[in-house]
Formats: sequence, C-alpha cells, structure tokens
Amino acid sequence: MNPARLSGRMKTVSMADRTLKKEDLGKLIDSVRAKGGRFVAPALLARQVVFRSVKSAEEVATGYILARNSFKEFLFPQTEVIAEFSMNKDSVGLKGVEVDAPETVVFGARPCEAASLKGLRTLFTWDFVDEFYTKREDKTVVITVGCTSGDEACFCTTVDLSPESTEGADVYLRETEDNGYTVKGLTEKGKKFLDTHDAVFTSGAAKERPLFKPETVPAVDLKRVSERLKDRAHYDDPVWAKLTMKCIGCGACTFVCPTCRCFDITDEGTAFEGERRKNWDSCQYDAFTLHASGHNPREHQPQRWRNRFMCKFNFYPEKFSSKGCVGCGRCIRVCPVRLDITEVMQEFSK
Amino acid sequence: MDNIYLPYLAKIEEIRDEAPDVRSFKLVFEDPALRDSFEFKTGQFGLYSAFGLGESTFCIASSPTRKGYIQCTFRRTGRVTGGLAQLSVGDTMGFRGPYGNWFPVDDWKGKDIVFIAGGICLPTVRSVIWNVLDRRQHFGNITIVYGARTVADLVYKDELKGWDERSDITPSRPWTPARDPGMEGQGRVRADRIGRGRAFCEEHGGRDLHISKFVLNSLLKLGFDEGSVYT
Repeated sequence: MNPARLSGRMKTVSMADRTLKKEDLGKLIDSVRAKGGRFVAPALLARQVVFRSVKSAEEVATGYILARNSFKEFLFPQTEVIAEFSMNKDSVGLKGVEVDAPETVVFGARPCEAASLKGLRTLFTWDFVDEFYTKREDKTVVITVGCTSGDEACFCTTVDLSPESTEGADVYLRETEDNGYTVKGLTEKGKKFLDTHDAVFTSGAAKERPLFKPETVPAVDLKRVSERLKDRAHYDDPVWAKLTMKCIGCGACTFVCPTCRCFDITDEGTAFEGERRKNWDSCQYDAFTLHASGHNPREHQPQRWRNRFMCKFNFYPEKFSSKGCVGCGRCIRVCPVRLDITEVMQEFSK
Repeated sequence: MDNIYLPYLAKIEEIRDEAPDVRSFKLVFEDPALRDSFEFKTGQFGLYSAFGLGESTFCIASSPTRKGYIQCTFRRTGRVTGGLAQLSVGDTMGFRGPYGNWFPVDDWKGKDIVFIAGGICLPTVRSVIWNVLDRRQHFGNITIVYGARTVADLVYKDELKGWDERSDITPSRPWTPARDPGMEGQGRVRADRIGRGRAFCEEHGGRDLHISKFVLNSLLKLGFDEGSVYT
C-alpha cells in the first residue's frame, strides 16, 4: 500500500433532520422485509464483512471500514439467467426471463462506492437500456453512512470524493455518539423511503461522531493523469511493465471494484434445453480479448493492466463524464501481490 | 420487459462454402413482420447464436439495399462457430443486433471509392461494396483490392469473378502469395491496384504488405487525405 497515506479527522456541519436509533434498526429491517423487500447490509461472513441480505439487526456489522465486496452485485449479479431455450426437431423455443428486482435497501454503503452508480447507470443505458440493471437500481434505496474510520487503502479524497459525498446515495447517515445515526434524505426516492418508515426515522438531532478523512495521496494530479493518458504514446512505455508485471491476472480487483461492469454471455444446459446467462467477466483475464484467430491484442498482463487503468481514468471520464475510480481502495486490499493503483496514478502524474 | 439480450430467431435459407472452414449463411427471420421492418446500416455487426453453445460476433455481410434477409460469413474457429458450422438449411439460429458503427456511404456520393480488404475481412467490406454497387449511379470510379493467403482462402469467389467482369469497376484480380513465388504461407497480403494508378503497386512492388497496418501509410503517401480513409 502507498506508505505516504495519512489519516485525519473532519469537522463538519450536519444537515440531517432526523435520527435513527440503534435499537430501531431491527424494526427498520423488519418493516422492509414485511413489505417483501430485502435488506442488504455489511455482515460478517467467514470472518469477513461483506454485503449480504440480512434478516435482523444482529447480523449487521459495526466497526467495519468497508465491506469486502461492492454492493453492485445486488444490482448487477455475478451471474443471472437472461433467457431460456429448448431445441426441438424443427424449431427452437426461446423465452426471455423477467428480471428479479425486489424492493431493496442497501444499508451501510460508503459514500465512495455509492458514487459508482452514475457510471454504472450511464453504461447500462448507453445506446440500449439494460433493464436487468435499471429495474433493480430503480427499486433500490441506497443508504450511505459517512466513514468514521479508514485505512491506508482509502483514497476517496484523491479522486475528489470524501466521507461527506452524497453522489449516488438516496439517504445519507452519520454515526452518533449513542451508536445511532443522524439521517438526511437526499433524493425523492430517499425522502419517500424515510416517510414510509417514519416510525423509526424520527425528527430530532444527536451528537455526531467525527468523520474520517483520508489524506490525498501525495504527488497525484488527476488532470495530469488524464492529459497523459490521452496521448496514446504511453501504450508502449516500459513503465507499464515496470509497474504491473507482478500482476497475476486473478481478476479480484475487477470483481470487488464498484465501477467494473464487464460481462460475458454464455449458454449452459444440455443439447435439448438450457439457459443463457450473463456473467461477470474481467479485462484482467488472458482470454478477455483473445480473438478467434488466436491473435490477442492484449497478450501480456501489463497491457491488460494498462487497459484497466485507461478505463478508470480515460475511457469512463471521457466517454461517460463519470468517475471510473471512486477511491474505495478495495482493489488494493484484495490484491494478492500488493499492486497499488495509486502508485500508477503517481507515475502518470509526473 | 424489454430484454435487449434476447436474440431474434432466424432460419437458414441457404448455405455456401466460401473457403476452407469459411461458410456463409443466408438468414430469414422467423417473424414475418421483422423481415420487413429490420433495418441496419452497412458495416454493422450482430451476435449469432448457436443455442446451447453461446453467441459469437461478426459482421452482417449483406447490404441493407437487399431486403428480406441478411447474410453472414464466418470461419469455424471455436465453440460457437463450430456449432454454427454444423447447422443445415432449414435450421434455426439466433441473431442479435444490429450493433456498432457503420460506414457513412451516403457521404461518398459523387466520389471515387477504393475498397481494400484481405482474407476473411472481405465480408464486412462486401456489405459496403454491394451497397454502393446497388446504387452505382451515385458514385464515381470504384476499385476493389483484395487478397488472401492462398487462392483457396479467397471468399466469395463467384462474386470476385463477377466484379472482375464488370466494366464499371476497375479490374483488380485478387492477389495471393501463392502467385508470388517464395511467399507461400507467409500470411501476408499484397495489394494489387488502386484507383489512382499503379503507383501503389509499384511502390510495394517487391514487398509484402500487412494490410491493416501499412495500407494507411501507403495511401497517405499516394496523396489520399487521412479523413477520406474509413476503417
């Protein structure tokens, strides 16, 4: 991890107008579930905090920095059936599948990862509207909680976000000294959600805990990174190999990344019937760009890493005017060879 | 729900073997309404399904000027194309599209056009060629430059012959390394002629040419404007 990262405390003014008491979280979960919805929150699983569907407040983790996975998998599942087919003697039966989009509450997301939603939405509605995504997102209320702790992998402030950012969130919470939350409705969807559950989101104020604000990574200049990436002369720069040769291409960074959204479509089943599935894919896999001819335009791992970095800091911002990287640091935490994207940002800030 | 991943079903009306492992399908949509309403632009691609094996991407090889059907040409190289190659006339497969960019053919009206393609890349260009030939009166001189690794690898052999015989196309016999002793099996393509005379050929007279990488530079040297080269 980037050793120069420091931590700091933020003094901020809350604009919250309601509170959620700690003992009322269970009521909220019950209330959402009673209406047929699912309540997704960070919970302990195999000694790791991960986003999962929970049934009670006891399952909801506390004291976590960030769930290990991104909540994107509840909007864009790792695998899902998109069609079913059957093959008869003279014909093929083909049936589309309706998206399974329950009312969903994502609770306890961090402000950084919620900022990924704009990019995902833009991608899944670009040219064609992917209703498998949009219908789920439309039915999801994202409740973020401002961070009161962080670690060396956090770098939201380096990509112009902070624990106070509200982009992508419907409701923003701050932890209070009595282990509850102050509550601010941000979007119409969020405000409606608060009204629907006004028995637990009561009017009032409480003393908030100070937010944790990661220091910006030194020597990173996003504008300079953007400028340098525009000129494709860097494609053959040996610096890519120097920085990323140790990458083993496991793809873990792309799976935990809240903005990565590449997928592949495959068929599964027998010779007579089966289903067509949409599965997460990763630009870090060697077969990702392998042509049928055997030619692979990204034959070596540094070329795949270059693509990932370009996607985050050139393609996404240029094409969709949205953030390709939200500074959550998940990729840094899960990388088995300790590859740190902020070090690449530093190199391309020169 | 509008499921953008759901393919259209299409019957294979005709199969043509173009070259070793290269096959063309003429596809007619099962939905009669779709046969009339389906539109695409020349150069666009689709995803072709062999159900149970998946879908694979390649271009629409026919021209949008030909209504009621589409054609595709593919080389059997993997799981999906291997499955497609086992289908017969009358079988059903899937098509999803059209997707992607297209060639702005209407912007070329009144201009001379040089088509350059190699090997299995001709299907994409073929869509453009027929689009132009079907509206021949709108365009200037037309030259087609095409080559392949071997004579056998040339696709659309009948059409190549037809184009060669047309008086309104600058004749361009396909080049293959087999015609050039010492170049057999080199996997290279050499361009023969283009509309502005033989300078191009003369410049590359003794040299082979990897078409996608070097053609642009060669065209620029010949005085073509970069903005007038489309890929």
